[in-house]
Amino acid sequence: MTAVPLAPELLVGTPLIELRGVTRVYSTGRLEVPALRGVDVDVWPGEFVAIIGHSGSGKTTLMNIIGCLDRPTDGTYRIAGEDVSSFDDDGLARIRSRTIGFVFQNYNLLPRTSALENVATPLLYQGVGRRERLERAKAPLERLGLGDRLTHEPSELSGGQQQRVAIARALVTEPALILADEPTGNLDTASGEEVMAILHELNDEGRTIVLITHEAEVAAKAQRQIHVRDGMIVS
Amino acid sequence: MFRLALSRLGTSRLRTALTMLGVIIGVASVVALVGVGQGATGGITARLQGLGTNLLTISPGAARTGFTRGAAGSSNTLTQEDATALAALSGIAAVEPEVSSSGFVVAGSQNTTTTVLGTTPAYPEVRAFTIADGTFFNQASVDHSLRVVVLGATTATDLGLTSSAIGQTITIGGVPFQLVGILQAKGSTGPVSQDDQAIIPITTARAYFSGGDKVRTIGVSVADANQIELAKATITTTLQARHGVTASALDFSIADQAQLLSTFSSVGATLALLLGGIASISLLVGGIGIMNIMLVSVRERTREIGIRKAIGARGRDILAQFLIEALTISLIGGIIGIAVGLTISVLISTVAGWAIVFSPVTILLAVFFSLAVGVIFGVLPARQAARLDPIVALRYE
Repeated sequence: MTAVPLAPELLVGTPLIELRGVTRVYSTGRLEVPALRGVDVDVWPGEFVAIIGHSGSGKTTLMNIIGCLDRPTDGTYRIAGEDVSSFDDDGLARIRSRTIGFVFQNYNLLPRTSALENVATPLLYQGVGRRERLERAKAPLERLGLGDRLTHEPSELSGGQQQRVAIARALVTEPALILADEPTGNLDTASGEEVMAILHELNDEGRTIVLITHEAEVAAKAQRQIHVRDGMIVS
Repeated sequence: MFRLALSRLGTSRLRTALTMLGVIIGVASVVALVGVGQGATGGITARLQGLGTNLLTISPGAARTGFTRGAAGSSNTLTQEDATALAALSGIAAVEPEVSSSGFVVAGSQNTTTTVLGTTPAYPEVRAFTIADGTFFNQASVDHSLRVVVLGATTATDLGLTSSAIGQTITIGGVPFQLVGILQAKGSTGPVSQDDQAIIPITTARAYFSGGDKVRTIGVSVADANQIELAKATITTTLQARHGVTASALDFSIADQAQLLSTFSSVGATLALLLGGIASISLLVGGIGIMNIMLVSVRERTREIGIRKAIGARGRDILAQFLIEALTISLIGGIIGIAVGLTISVLISTVAGWAIVFSPVTILLAVFFSLAVGVIFGVLPARQAARLDPIVALRYE
């Protein structure tokens, strides 16, 4: 087991994310394809970690497991102190709702739905009333400079603006972890840098960020890189 | 959640409207056909009740000449005394003996040939007639064989007589009679109209037209509708004793109006059920329409479902979303369908002249069924949506 180097000032308490010997095997008919083969990852509160790897390296599988969209075939995964390895679908949905904020490469905003409604939607699944939802959704949008775009639908926004709406949506539930999957992949350089700046700003405020990317340049901006290759962590 | 469903349905209005149309047609046809069935039954029942619900009609048996048996009613076994004896029985409200013949009636320049019925003042009560104009003749007219006549509505119209003609003299078979009353029309039951007749005192009829002591028919009005069977038995026993015949060789028969009524009612109920059943098929087709559209919608919105799941929606949240959409379509469709169905049944009832039957049970059933259609045909697509794997759904293009 290779210990992952940590920023010394974060070596307190328990890790936010703790993967131990996690494997994930996809069964396609007779064939068994291992995507992850025994991975250990620790991410501490307040860290900005980049998971970097080429396509087919297993980084997407790793992200799905960290994001509680998938379960490991073997091994344990603890997030915020809870062992979610054996959670059922509803249990995983609860973790996604309370603990994780997603930012996707292709934004994944709800079509034909205003920016404000989009940002308010995660609160719907926490059982928050409509009035409060819309009220709480305003703050992150205004903070990301979209205060004048509340009623715009995704199709009326630029890529950079859409990604900022997506970040606002990830922030609205005040999650412990922001999980960003290639957040700059579809953006031009300027918008990409803007998004990275926002993520850094959020990290400076103490938010834990895990960034998945295949670009070394993007990964270089994180405090720490985890390299994935052939389903294993190489450094 | 409901707001969400509404806004989603709003984004594809044409599709929603067409899907709803399936439910509307289904519910409307159920409501309309059941309404029409009930209206028709009500109409038939009302006409039968017009004959007098508590009415028993006693007719003579078949005449026997040697070994030849004649048609029922062809003998002359009933007499005026039979009628008097029956009137004395307990549980009998009124009795009216009838004799009849055909007569040529002339009023001024108009003439017609109609049934001349000789009876007693109990006739309107037993046969459930009301007097439109003038009065019915009284017992004194019968006692003194007065030449007075009450005309059926049709006969009066044929002769061009209206309320102003009361007191005029008309002739029947050349004999002058004074017109004292005109009956309210009842409508026809079968080929013979009850409204086409001239009614005169039975004694007068005997004196001028039929003669003898025999009676063609005796109408009996039973006091209590629940005692009809008992009354029939009492009448049978009484007449048997009077005629000196055995139970196996009765020389008279008793027709029961209530029996006919219940037969028609049950036929009507079966008819309504049958019509409703046929209409339910279109409701079923409407339901399949909902399912079809919801399945397409789940497929189209796979990615949306993936996003919702990623940001914290549980399976049941997605299930609820799609189920509410299906229910909204079916409920709104159901309500519109009820309105359309009621309108149709009111129109048909009006045209056919039936009483308009507004049955809250039918409405409740229609609402219940349209909701049931929404749930039954919405569950499958909604479950399909709820079970989608978020990873697969997110990648779906």
